[in-house]
Order: sequence, then C-alpha cells, then structure tokens
Amino acid sequence: MNTIPIRHKWEPYLWLLPSLVLMCVFVVFPIGIVFKLSVSEISKSGVVKGLVGLDNFRAAFRDPAFGTVMLNTAIWVVSVVGLSTLLGFITAMALNAEFFGRKVARSIVVFPWATSLVIQASVWNYIIKGEYGNLNNVLLNLGILKNAVNWRASYQIEFAWECGVGIFVTIPFVAFTVLAGLQSIDDAYYEAATVDGAGFWRKLWNVTIPLVKPSLTVCTVLNIIYVFNSFPIIYTITKGAPANKTDTMVTLLYMRAFYDNQKGPATAMSVIGFAILCVCAGAYMMVTMRKEDAR
Amino acid sequence: MNRNTPAEVRRANGRAMALVLVAAVLAVALMCLPLYRFSAAVFTKKSGNTFVGDEKYQQVRAEVEAMAQEHAQRTGGAPQIVENVTERTNSKGEKTSMVAFEVRQVMSRTGWDFMFSGLPCGTFLMALVLCLAAAVGLMLCGLWKAVDVDWPELNPGKSVPRRLGAALGLIALLLVPAFMMSCNLCFTRQIKLATDGFPKPGLDGLLRVLDRFLYGGTAGEETLSLMTGVTYQPDWALYGLMAALAAFTLGGVLVAHGHPAATLQKGLLYGFVICLCLVILYPYYVMLITGFRSNAETTDMYFQHMLPTRWVWSNLSDIIGRGVPRYLLNSLLLSAGATAIALLCGIPAAYAMARMNFPGKKAFLGFVIMSQMFSPVVLLVGISRLMNALHLNDTVTGLMFINAAFNQAFAIWLLRGTFVSISSEMEQAACIDGCSTVSAMLRVLLPMAAPGIVTTLIFVFINAWNEYTISTVLISTNANKPITVGITQFSSFNMIEWQYLFAAALVATIPVVILFMLIEKHLAAGLTAGGVKG
Amino acid sequence: MKKIAALILAMLLAFGCCAAFAEGDEITLDVIICQYGPNTQEWFLGSGMDGTNFVDKFEAENPGIKLNLDVVSWNDVYTEVSTRISNNNAPDILNIDVFANYAADGLLLPVSDYCPEELFNDFFPSFIAQSVIDDTVWAVPDLASARALYVNRDILDEVGIDIPTTWAELEDACQAILDFYEGDVYPWGIDMTTDEGQAAFSYYVWNNDGGFVDADGNVALNSDANVEAIEYAVGLYNKGFTNPNPATQTRYDLQDMFGAGKLAMVIAPNQLPSYLSDKGYEVNWETAALPVNEGKTPGATGVMDRIMAFKDDEYPDQAKRNEAIGKFLTFFYAPENYVGWVSMEGFLPAVNSSVAALVEADPSFEAWLAVLDSCQFYPTALDNWDAIKQGVIDVEQQALTGGDVKTLLDDLQAKIAG
Repeated sequence: MNTIPIRHKWEPYLWLLPSLVLMCVFVVFPIGIVFKLSVSEISKSGVVKGLVGLDNFRAAFRDPAFGTVMLNTAIWVVSVVGLSTLLGFITAMALNAEFFGRKVARSIVVFPWATSLVIQASVWNYIIKGEYGNLNNVLLNLGILKNAVNWRASYQIEFAWECGVGIFVTIPFVAFTVLAGLQSIDDAYYEAATVDGAGFWRKLWNVTIPLVKPSLTVCTVLNIIYVFNSFPIIYTITKGAPANKTDTMVTLLYMRAFYDNQKGPATAMSVIGFAILCVCAGAYMMVTMRKEDAR
Repeated sequence: MNRNTPAEVRRANGRAMALVLVAAVLAVALMCLPLYRFSAAVFTKKSGNTFVGDEKYQQVRAEVEAMAQEHAQRTGGAPQIVENVTERTNSKGEKTSMVAFEVRQVMSRTGWDFMFSGLPCGTFLMALVLCLAAAVGLMLCGLWKAVDVDWPELNPGKSVPRRLGAALGLIALLLVPAFMMSCNLCFTRQIKLATDGFPKPGLDGLLRVLDRFLYGGTAGEETLSLMTGVTYQPDWALYGLMAALAAFTLGGVLVAHGHPAATLQKGLLYGFVICLCLVILYPYYVMLITGFRSNAETTDMYFQHMLPTRWVWSNLSDIIGRGVPRYLLNSLLLSAGATAIALLCGIPAAYAMARMNFPGKKAFLGFVIMSQMFSPVVLLVGISRLMNALHLNDTVTGLMFINAAFNQAFAIWLLRGTFVSISSEMEQAACIDGCSTVSAMLRVLLPMAAPGIVTTLIFVFINAWNEYTISTVLISTNANKPITVGITQFSSFNMIEWQYLFAAALVATIPVVILFMLIEKHLAAGLTAGGVKG
Repeated sequence: MKKIAALILAMLLAFGCCAAFAEGDEITLDVIICQYGPNTQEWFLGSGMDGTNFVDKFEAENPGIKLNLDVVSWNDVYTEVSTRISNNNAPDILNIDVFANYAADGLLLPVSDYCPEELFNDFFPSFIAQSVIDDTVWAVPDLASARALYVNRDILDEVGIDIPTTWAELEDACQAILDFYEGDVYPWGIDMTTDEGQAAFSYYVWNNDGGFVDADGNVALNSDANVEAIEYAVGLYNKGFTNPNPATQTRYDLQDMFGAGKLAMVIAPNQLPSYLSDKGYEVNWETAALPVNEGKTPGATGVMDRIMAFKDDEYPDQAKRNEAIGKFLTFFYAPENYVGWVSMEGFLPAVNSSVAALVEADPSFEAWLAVLDSCQFYPTALDNWDAIKQGVIDVEQQALTGGDVKTLLDDLQAKIAG
C-alpha cells in the first residue's frame, strides 16, 4: 500500500482538522440552521416566530405544485446526468483519438465549464427568444430556415431547452473525467485485445468501459448532486412558468421562499430534497462500489 | 502489411474510376432536370369588406381575370385563379367578408436555368460543376501511367492530385446544401425583409433577376409583391444530385486511398468534432456580437447581419463606468482568497486521506460528499444567519470562506488522487532519514504533485469566480459585489440591456476561459489521478 | 525635538477626539432603492444628477447624515430584503412596491413619526390612502405609472378597423388583423408572466366590474365577473389572437414586438413612448382607454411604488433617527430633485409640488395625470396581497395550459380566504 507510517494515533485527525473546521463552520452549521428553521414558523416577511413541529413539512407535501415538480426534478436529473454522461463519453472518445487540431478542440470543449451558469443561461435565453432571438436570426440569415420558428412553442419544449442547456454545461466535466480515464489506460490492453481479434465494440465494452468506470462513478455522483441543485438555468430561462410546470425542486423552493413568502414550507422542501439526494447518491455509490469490490 | 498485386490495383482503380465517371455523368444529367418546383403567384389582389357576388366582388374578379388572360398571352402559360374567401360574423351580428384572389402558375426550373439566371444561388451550381470537372481531371491525372501502382508506393505527384480530386468531390457535395440555403435567402428571406420595410442594398438588381427568372421579365414593378406569394420545394432531382455526388466522393476516396472505411471513420470523427466545437462556440459568438451591438440592434427582429453593423466599442466604456472593474477586482480577491483557504485546508486533509490508514477514513469521505448535497440556494437563509453572527455579512471575506468550504469536496478529491498516484517511496525514505511527516510532505511530495495542485487551484478559482447564488444574497453593498452579481444590474426585470449584459459577461468569461485553456494539458492528468481508487 | 513630538502627539489626540465626536454625531442610514431602469444607478450613485449624484448632494446639504445607499434590481430585491429581515438587519429606508407584510410584522415606523407635515400634505391624498392599514399610514408613494392601450395606427388603417373600445370589438379587430396578415402580426399582447401577471388580471377584471376585492374590501377572487374576464383573456390566447408565449414573454418583449410592428395592440405603461424612442423604433402609435366589457364601468390600472422606514429599536436616539429619515424624504421630494427622478424614467409623480414643472416640460403629462386620477390600484394594503398576486398569476398560467378558470379561481379563493 502506498502509505507512510503514522507516529501517533491522533496524527491523521490533526491533518484533517483544518478542513473539518472549515466545513463544519460554513457548511454543517448552516445545514443545522436550515433543519431548525424547517420546524419553525416563519412570518411572511421573514421573522422567525417559534417551533411548530412538522407543519411545514405537511404544507410542503400539500403544495399543489409538489407532484409536478417532483416529476420534473426526476426528468431533469435523469435526462441531464444520463445524456451528458453519454455525450461526454462520446466526446472523450473523439478527443482521445489522433487528429489534426486536437489541441484546439480540447481547449474549446472546456469553454462551457469555464463559464458561469448565470451567463450561460442568459445567453441561451437570448438565443431562443422567439422574436429577436439569435438562433432565428442566424438560421434565417444563413438561409437554413425559410421562416422564423417559435423555439419556445410550449412549456414542454422550454423545459427540453433547459435540459439541453443543462447537458451542454455538464458535458465538459464528464468528457474530461473520462478522457483522463482513457489516457491512463495502458495501450497493452488494446494490443492484447486486438491480438484476440476483438473489434471496436468489443474493445469498448470489455476494455474501455471497465477501466474508465471508477472515475465515472465519482463523476456521476458529483453530477447528480450538482444537477439536482442546479438553479440558475431554470430561474433565468422560465422562472418555472407557466404555473410551476417547468420548476424543479430547487427553483420551486426558491420561488416559495422569496416570491411567495412561504419560508417555512420552503425550508422543509430543502430538507426533503437533501433526504432524496442522500438516498439517491448513497444508493448509487453503494451499488457501484459493491460491484467493483465483487470484481 | 498486405501487398496488392498490380492486377488487383488496376482492377480496383478501374472500378473506382468507373464509379466516379458514372456519378459525374449522372450528376450533370440530373442538373438538366427540374431542381425546384415553384408555385408562383403572378398576380394577387386582396379586397376587404367584399362579399361574394356583390358589385365590388364582380369588379375585382373582372380585373383579376383580365390580368390572368394577359399573363397567359404574354408567357404562353396556363395560370389558375385561386379565390380565397374569409367570412366572419362580428360581435354585432354583422357579416364581414374578405376576398383574396391569386393568379397562380406552377413552373419548374432546371439546374442550368439556375446557373445562367444570374441569381446568387446559381453561382453555387456553377462552382459545383467546376469542382466536378476539376475533380475528374485531377483524378485522371493521378491515374495516368500509375493505374497499377499500389497506393502506399504512389509518389506525391500522383497521390496529391487524387486526394485533391476526392476533396473537390466532397466540396461539390457540400455545395448542394449551400445552394439550397442560398435559394431560401433570395426567394424568401430578402423578399420578406423587403416587404416588411427592411430592404438589403442591391435589392433592385435581385428583383430584376428574379423577374427574368420566374416571370420572363413581365412582372416589372410588381415583382416584389408577387414574390411574397411564391412557394417552392426541391424536386427529387436535387436529392438525386446529392446522392450522385456522394457516390462521386466515395469513388474519389477509393481512387485516392483504396480504404474508404478508414476515411469514413476519420470523416465521422472530424464531422463530430467540428459540429461539437461549433455548438460550443455558438453561445460565445452570440455573446461577442451582442455585446458590441447597439441597444436597438439587440432586439431588432429584422436584423439582417451575422455581425453588428457597427461595433459599438463604447459598450465597454459604459460598463466600465457602471462599476465593472470594481466587480472584477472583487471577484479576483474573492477567488484568490477562496482558493488559498481551500488549498490550505484541503492539502493536509488530502494528504492524510492518501497516505494514512486510520479508522473513520470512509466516514470522512462520506461526510465530505454529504456536505456537497445541500445546494447553496437551499442553505441561503442559514448561511446568511451564520455570516451575520460572524460579522462577515456583506463582505468579500465571508464569501471567500463560503466558497472555500463548498469547494472542499472537489479539492480533496482531486488532491488525494494526485497524491495517491505519486509513489510514497521517497517520503518513506525521508521519514527514515528523520524528517518529520510535515517536512516530508512539503519537501518531497508537494514539488512532485505541483501539476495536480495547480489543476486543483484553478478549479477552485474558477468555481469561486463563477459562483452566483450565495453572493447575490450575501452582498448588498455595490462596492463589494463580485462580477456575477454585478452584471445582474443589466438584466433587471425592468429592462434587459442585452448589450451591456453580454459585454460584461464577455469580460467576466475571457480570463477564466484563458486560465482553463492554460491548464487543459494538466486537466486530464489531474482528473486521472482523481479517479484512481485509494 | 521632544516638544515637537509632544505637539504632534497632542494634535493627533485632538484630531482623534474631534473625529470621535464627529463620528458620534453622525448617523448612517441604510437605504435600498429599486432599479427602475438604466439611469437609476447613475442618478443615485454615479454622475447622472447634473454631474453629481443623489448621495453626494444629500450628504453635502445634510451634514451629519451619511447614506449607505444600494440600488438593487427588482429581481433580487425581495430576496435581499427578506434575508436581511430574517437576520435582524433590515434597512432603514426601503423603496419597494409592497408594505403590508412588513407592517403586519410590526417592522415599520408609522409615516407620522418621521414625515414632516408639509411634505405629507404634498402627496396626492388618493395615493396616501393606498398605504393605510388600520388608520395608520405606513408608507409614502415614490412614483406611479398608469396603463393604457397602445395601438399601431398604420396596421389598423391598413386592415381598415377602428380602435376597439369594447371586448367584442376587440375580438373583431383581432380576427380582422389575423386574417389580413395571416399570422405575421400578432393582434394583441398579453403578459401573464411571473413578473407581472397580476397586471393582466387587473386589465380584464377591472373592466368587467370585477376585482381582487369586493365592495367591502374582502378578497373576492372567484366572482362571476372575474371568471368571465379571465376566460375572455385566455380565450384571446386560445383563438390565436395573442403573442405566442404569454407565460414567459414579459412586457418588455411585448414592447419590442410593438416597436417592430409585429404586435398591433398592447396594454402598456405611460413610459412606452420614451422606451420606443430610446430604442429607435419608429411606430405610428396612438393611445386609448382599455377595452371594456359592454355595459360595464371602465377601470384604468395604476401602479404605485413606495418608500417606507423600518424600526430600529437598538438605535439610541430615536428622535434623531426619525429626523434624519424625514430629511431624506424632504430632500428626495424637493422639486429640484424629484422632477429629475420622475422624468428620468418617464414615470408619473406622487406629489403636487412637482406637477407644474413636469407639465411644463412635457404637456402630455397632463392627460396622464387625469388618467391617474381615475386609476384603480392593487390592494397592496392586504397582508396577503403577495399570496393573491402569485395566486392569480398561477391561475392565469394554469388557464393558459388548459385549466378551468372557474375551478382554479374557486380553489384560490378557498386558499386565500381560508
């Protein structure tokens, strides 16, 4: 094992201390406040009045938009994480191949990662504006379209756009994680597979995927968390309109907390969201880790 | 390596060249067939408040019939009269009716018609034919006296013309969609712009050409209004042309390499990468051109250009006047501070995670991931109370700590991976020599881990630079706002000033993008390390 | 040498004392102002007030009072204010549209505590009446705007129709425009966005003798008149008479379409003409009263924002603080400052003393002031106004996606009243 001897039992904890303190103060403490607020009554203008037990949770579950929003959140997380993983994987495969201009292409692919989500969301919001949006402008001026298209014809389409933007900004992270995995694969594996007469698909399935999997696991867990908690895209493009039909849990609770002045139910919702994330990310890790251990 | 015998090579080249020639002949033949079918209005007349059969109707009808007859005499065509009646009952119970007459004629135009019409789209077809001819010529040159030479042994004098020929075939193929786009431009876009009152310079010339092309020069002044009623669709010959050119390109590739599969694979790869890059760069292009357009142009629904008509550089000085440098400075301070704190806390933790075995290691990992599960949005209220208690509300310092804390998981993950990937032998040796663990880490490990540390550093920096939600709530004093929050003043719901928003967005994005491009080389390496199991 | 050093030390001490005294004497007011447009920030903090700005000018004229003034965008202001309140860190002076929640939580100072009598009498009484709960005035209006129907004269002429005055005529006009332009021009603009959907609600219910509240001031959202009005508005959308995405196309999107000639008729605030000319749109526009359902009383919509002062029980000298707030208001509403503020973004004034100067600058103001007189305002004095506002927006957006208006409004009424 790649370890060094420890002189005192408590030594490792000393090394962890700064990080622990930082996270406890600035992450765990606010989490505690949120848990406490979720069982407190909060007035509309934000004054905390006292404990009320589970009323806030009851109100959150009774929220008329709750069902739709849970469904949206599921679609949002599954489609964004799933598709960005798939597309990110393909991108990584492409970027790992030898071709002219690969360096430039790799630099370009990091762009969305390096740009603030608010900015990305604003740009895409402008691009798909029906009347003066840039997409229509460009496609018309190139002669690809004959007539302007309403790119946001219904809320389902708007939600699809939001998912698209989500995928767009997530691809680079996946692509580079996978690329990292691909680069660390020893060519000997492929040579061996070639000698065995394996084709492209069999090499992909039997060599590439198993070896890239560990890096993909962590990346997917982080992605699930980031995407679930992603806020600026939906907030900038539709604000959940019409009638919360394009909201996800995080934007709904923001709207409830700061637009509708229902802070109690909103904090309850954030606790519910936390529980869901814990279960999902935890389950995912358990399943993938166990498989690896069994291997 | 398998060698092909001269006879095999000759046969293969012969087959490929036959394909090329047949495809070329087919393409030229298809150009003689109608490529587009037009249903053109040669005359239109709308009459409001008109009922079928009344006096006004009779009058208009007569006028329309006269026009149709005249047109038939002049052009020898057989125009049809289409009558469209819109009848409604309004709220007062009165009937209203609008009658629209159209004299329509169906016609088709062949590739050669297009080519010699003088229309811009015709030039694409002309270029196509030239490409085709040149490609055939080049390939024949490349084959001349080298029909039976195996491909790897071709000298450049022979292989370059063959490759050029194949490339020209591909260009010819791509010219077909370009031709279709150009048709859309001159038959729809420019006409629509002109009727809406936004003509492009040179419209008169275009109209004259269109008149000649579609109406045989009879429409004159009427061309513009007639063109608004033109509908058209590509005929099967156009798609046939594309297929023929694809076959031509395939033949060209066979002549050039003899390995179409590899070329196809390469082509797909390039196609994918180019599309990907275009899609990724598109929003940045939008930012760039919108950031330097005038306010009126940003919301111009008839904007005819791909670039601003005038680059309004003053947008830059305007946003500078509205506090952007201050915001940038705050962002810089905030990100630098957050990065420093995150690394100071993260490096020891990652070191312990990478190099030491101790009970509670998994628990700590779980804790780290758990700490990421609350979105900052969700924690807004909690964070802001905490900041208040620490008297850090509304300060950049407060944001530094928050950002550092929220980036711990990522930093530890990356750093631990880097450390794990470096062998501990040197440190062990150092330890035996009597070095303390701390100095072993500082003197031995850190220098070796520098690339990984730089990667982590830039990651945290960028995350902090791009953070928006917490800052927007925590910071209220204008002078303390980071750039992400500062630019929201341009997109208040009272009025979005797109040009300032995007100019500022550009200014905020460029430094980060450059940083990211600088580490791109180490990026993959840093992440590789991150993925390794410890 | 020693003497000099002692002298310097003494001087330093003296300075220190003076500074300390001055500091003890000074009062700092935290002020939050909403961003009304591109010039707001310049006017308050930059150099948009004849080369100087509001804060500098105020501090020069009122020594001893410091302003810690922030201009906050409307997007963020609710978040910011409520977070600050949660943290016992409320601003001293706040400019926003709502006030009832803050009053209900006992956070506001009554206006009589700080507003000089002379200034108080200067406000339009009908405006002040909008900020009263239980006979106490809790906020003062800072500006107002009135809404009217704007039509594109050229489009109407080409189609050959008159400006519609009733709902039935409006439908006819829309149908005629739709038929004539075959969809190239949207006949009617509707904005039912999360930003300002409540305005759309008022445009229709107030012109159908409905409203947010009944004659006794009780919430009455599901009255037959309201149901009819909203069904009518949504019907316009369903018949294809409106812009395609009322739930996400904001008033500014509509104004841009109107300016570009893509929209024939739209209800917009009185600032529309300056918006159009700023952007270089050349539209031959005309204004008229909002269309009304036949036989019902017309109701114009007015919108008003407010300035209010928060309590700060920890401050030692309450009288001094109140006086400082009063000075702020007096300075703000002084005609030489206020006229610039109101006309800068094309709003309508809330005080009498500035009317003369404004009318002199732009005679068209007079007509608007008359409209303002007959305007109805949102019932912002209700402490559940925010719930009503979000509720009606939600109802509108549900109705746009196929919900039944009657059921939706019944549910909303039950939720709000119960």
